[in-house]
Amino acid sequence: MNSRATADPPLPWGTGPYSIKRHGTTLTSCDSEPVQTPGCIQAHGALLVLRLSDLRILQASENTLQHLGEAAEQLLGQPVGHVVGSTGEARLREMLAHEALERGPAYAFTLPARSGALPLDVSLHTSGGVAVLEFESTVRAGQHSGSDFFLLVKSAVGRLQAAASVRGFCQQVTEEVRAITGLDRVMVYRFHPDHHGEVIAESRRDTLAPWLGLHYPAADIPQPAREIFKRIWIRPLPDAAGPLVEMLPLANPDNGHALDMTHCALRGASVMYTEYLANMGVAASLTMPIMLDGELWGLIACHHYAATQFPYQVRAACELLAQVASLQLKSAEQAEQLSYRLRLEEVHQQLVARSAREGDLLALTAHQPSLLDAIDAGGAALYHLDRWWCVGRVPDVTQLDELAAWLYGRPELESATRPVFVTDALARACPAAEGLEDIASGVLAVALSRQRRGLMIWFRPQTLQTVKWAGNPHDEPAVPGPQGLRLSPRASFEIFVESVRGQSPPWAGIEIDAALRLRLLVLELVITRAERLADLNADLTRSNDELDAFAYVASHDLKEPLRGIHRYAHQLLESAEAVDGDNRRRIENMMRLTVRMDSLLDSLLHFSRVGRMELELEDADLNAVLEEALEMIGAQRPESRCSIEIPRPLPNARCDPVRVREIYSNLLANSIKYKQQADVRIEVGYLAADEAAARPNAPPETAGQAIFYVKDDGIGIAQRHHEQVFRMFKRMHGRDDYGGGVGAGLTIVQKLVQRHGGRVWLDSSLGVGTTFFFTLPGMPGEAR
Amino acid sequence: MPGRPILVVEDSDEDFQTVQDAARRAQLPHPIVRASSGSDCLRQLHGDLRGRLGLVLLDLNTPGDDGREALREIRSDDRFKALPLVVLTASANPRDLQFCYAHGANAYHVKPVDHALHLQVLQQIFAYWLGSVVLPA
Repeated sequence: MNSRATADPPLPWGTGPYSIKRHGTTLTSCDSEPVQTPGCIQAHGALLVLRLSDLRILQASENTLQHLGEAAEQLLGQPVGHVVGSTGEARLREMLAHEALERGPAYAFTLPARSGALPLDVSLHTSGGVAVLEFESTVRAGQHSGSDFFLLVKSAVGRLQAAASVRGFCQQVTEEVRAITGLDRVMVYRFHPDHHGEVIAESRRDTLAPWLGLHYPAADIPQPAREIFKRIWIRPLPDAAGPLVEMLPLANPDNGHALDMTHCALRGASVMYTEYLANMGVAASLTMPIMLDGELWGLIACHHYAATQFPYQVRAACELLAQVASLQLKSAEQAEQLSYRLRLEEVHQQLVARSAREGDLLALTAHQPSLLDAIDAGGAALYHLDRWWCVGRVPDVTQLDELAAWLYGRPELESATRPVFVTDALARACPAAEGLEDIASGVLAVALSRQRRGLMIWFRPQTLQTVKWAGNPHDEPAVPGPQGLRLSPRASFEIFVESVRGQSPPWAGIEIDAALRLRLLVLELVITRAERLADLNADLTRSNDELDAFAYVASHDLKEPLRGIHRYAHQLLESAEAVDGDNRRRIENMMRLTVRMDSLLDSLLHFSRVGRMELELEDADLNAVLEEALEMIGAQRPESRCSIEIPRPLPNARCDPVRVREIYSNLLANSIKYKQQADVRIEVGYLAADEAAARPNAPPETAGQAIFYVKDDGIGIAQRHHEQVFRMFKRMHGRDDYGGGVGAGLTIVQKLVQRHGGRVWLDSSLGVGTTFFFTLPGMPGEAR
Repeated sequence: MPGRPILVVEDSDEDFQTVQDAARRAQLPHPIVRASSGSDCLRQLHGDLRGRLGLVLLDLNTPGDDGREALREIRSDDRFKALPLVVLTASANPRDLQFCYAHGANAYHVKPVDHALHLQVLQQIFAYWLGSVVLPA
């Protein structure tokens, strides 16, 4: 609305001066209306334009006969003393010489009543090289007649200072202004960053419908009007339906310029505006700007349902209140921001303290207070350790994943110090968010970490969901104006709905800062947890080391007596008395038992280490690994008795080759050991991950993994023993059958495979043979 | 002529007797001296045996100051730098192995439970350190 399109049609008044009376009704765009030079004034007063050098009358309003007793034509060219007398003229000269009058009218004097005319308050200011004299009837019969306005304003200002919140402050402003003016409705109307307005405070006659919370589109207050409100403190319109009076002549005869009426209290109101008021049934209005840091923050808008008058003193009091409100607003806003910031900090500290206590980020979303209790939002979601933690209204997990992926493409989140992305209209930037307007029009996202894809996101629904229509805009009469229903409250509402579709209330600076501070707290929390985990791991390592040492010491201490027993048995056997018969056999058995115990202790020791040693993963060539395994068991493999087939070269695998060599050597040794005929045939091979082939008995989690196998034609293992074979010291056969052994080999194989995150299983039929399968996903899994 | 004495640091009587058996079978001319703890070993080293020892057979897990302590002491003393020091222990712990070599043991053997093997290990030690190698005069 602020910029004129180059394709605008030519203005109806061409290059000549504009007059609302003549051209106003042909307007098509509010923003093109020259509201500063309307060419007309309101009819309840009169206006004279004086040449500064000699104070002669250059222009006069058409209605001077009514107010000043002489027709405008007669006044042109006359010295001003002709109207205000020599005392009045002297007073004006003195003011012009000594006072700053460029920035607003100052009360000059009251012109006493003459026959048939009321006394008139006269005010003076200068504008564009002329002096502007305004005459308004002095109203002394109002409700505050005789009131001490100074005291009234002073006590009002005192009450304003007590307000702690912006809304509370504005509420107080509306009440003070209504007390002074006695008008039907006084509102504070606040501009949002997108320039749309919202009624945030209201004081009204009891019988009127509340308008508190109503929103209006930016178009309701056109840009030229906003510009004027930056320069004046009050805008009276005592009779919106009253006639307009044109200036005579319309342009200054000295320079041909139209009069700039920015500071004129009598400035004629735009047709747009009067129609707008008429549509709402409003007869009179009084408007004061609220400025913050040189910007138009909002308006104090007063409506009255009958034409009224705004006496000079009332206007002066209101102006003062508007100025005080503007000054005071800043501290009210700071107080409010401070308390909001304190609340944010407090809630965040509570959240983090609870999380630290419970050792879990669940505390951020699952309890009161949650992430939602600090920053005003509809929902919040946290992504950490590969999962979402959500509270309130958030998109579903698939949508969250998509959004997160999109967010990680945003350069804003790459900042090392402020990794934050903010929007109040997500769907406009992220097409994937279309359809999520009710949940996520606004997004405030901070990155916890880029590596782990950690995110914290707050969501705001579109403004439509948050606007509270405390007052129904439809219960005010929508009277068609002369130009139809333009800018009626109903139409305004519809325009507003259009303008805020897909748009959420914006994120405040302190909310963004708070989110970033919370990010630091959460990071600290995550680091603390990681440290605690590291401590636990260190403890675990320590206790593993102790266990390790214990196992060695125990085996040492157990072996010493064994060595002694073996030694004595050996000596007995060597001595002559024991050489023959049963005694010799008993001694030999004793010696065999000690050797067996020795190997049991060795296996136990080995097994206890297998579960704890560090894997050294590398991309290993399994052919080389298998070759080494075959070498290791070479002694057990007389060439003629065993054939090893490798149908195709084995692939590379990410594993600890030393451990995998042990897996192969154990499996191969078993195959050779448990044979049913003199010769044994062994096949070592694999099934690739994507290979379509039978995978007998494969556990479901091995789907999509390469499977390695060692197959023999040995004695086979009965179905009921398929699980038992992996148990520690569990033997399927007599102690000395099949070459003996302690029953630890497969247990160790299972442990080694599990350390690689893999599974081991078998397929076997008695008398046919056994195939052992295993996987090596390459990721160390939990030892089971 | 009698050889230089062999100092056997060993707390187990049976293991010490096995050493003696092995020495007898090898017909060693060297006197066998026993220390039953690490501190005992050091005491003897600094006493009568100083400068005369031919070989130290060290068990690690002895009572009191154990074999590790004795090893460290011996090797930190310049006078014993060249003394052959062979560890013979029940421990197969890789840490012990690493420790002993790091602190200057000349060899590390694990005692087998099998008596015949045990004797065999000892005879190999004697044959090597008292027969094969050339030691400083």
